[in-house]
Amino acid sequence: MEGLELISFQIISSVGTARSFYIESIQAAKAGDFKKAESLIKEGEGYFVQGHHAHAELIQKEASGETTVMNLLLTHAEDQLMSAEAFKIIAEELLAVYRRFEEK
Amino acid sequence: MKRIVLLCAAGMSTSLLMNKMRDAAKAEGFECTIEAYPTTNASSVGKDADVILLGPQVRFELNKVKNQVSCPVDAIDMVAYGTMNGKKVLEQAKKLLGV
Repeated sequence: MEGLELISFQIISSVGTARSFYIESIQAAKAGDFKKAESLIKEGEGYFVQGHHAHAELIQKEASGETTVMNLLLTHAEDQLMSAEAFKIIAEELLAVYRRFEEK
Repeated sequence: MKRIVLLCAAGMSTSLLMNKMRDAAKAEGFECTIEAYPTTNASSVGKDADVILLGPQVRFELNKVKNQVSCPVDAIDMVAYGTMNGKKVLEQAKKLLGV
């Protein structure tokens, strides 16, 4: 498999896994298990960083003059990256909301 | 002939994996059909499937899909997915099929 295709898949796989963990975290909070919800966010962060590193590699290459030709797969990978990033924020906010419900 | 179904968010990345798996199946002479769909199609395409595998980005829907179908369902190994290892994912599918 070619370099760019492989990097794209590393990104999709890592941040996709992270995204799943963030969503599972919200589900855990909904069920009242906040300890699990927090550990799921932590776990997601670990995978997100892996995907972020793969993406950063491309950015560094571009900064050093080696331009990456965009294709649909890489666009899809970046889309997944953004979605995962946003889901972490949403998960953290929802955790706080569910906690407040619990307190009442 | 066994029917393997792959599910992900849009069916895009799994389409590429599908091709790699088809190559792997052909290479080892394993007769099967392999198709990729978005998870929204799970209940309709899952009816005739013998095994369903989910991409890492939709792994959180594992239980939901399990409730919609009667065949074995699992999430694709993240490393195998990230490296587009068609052979390894095919092995995972075969293990679930018990062949």
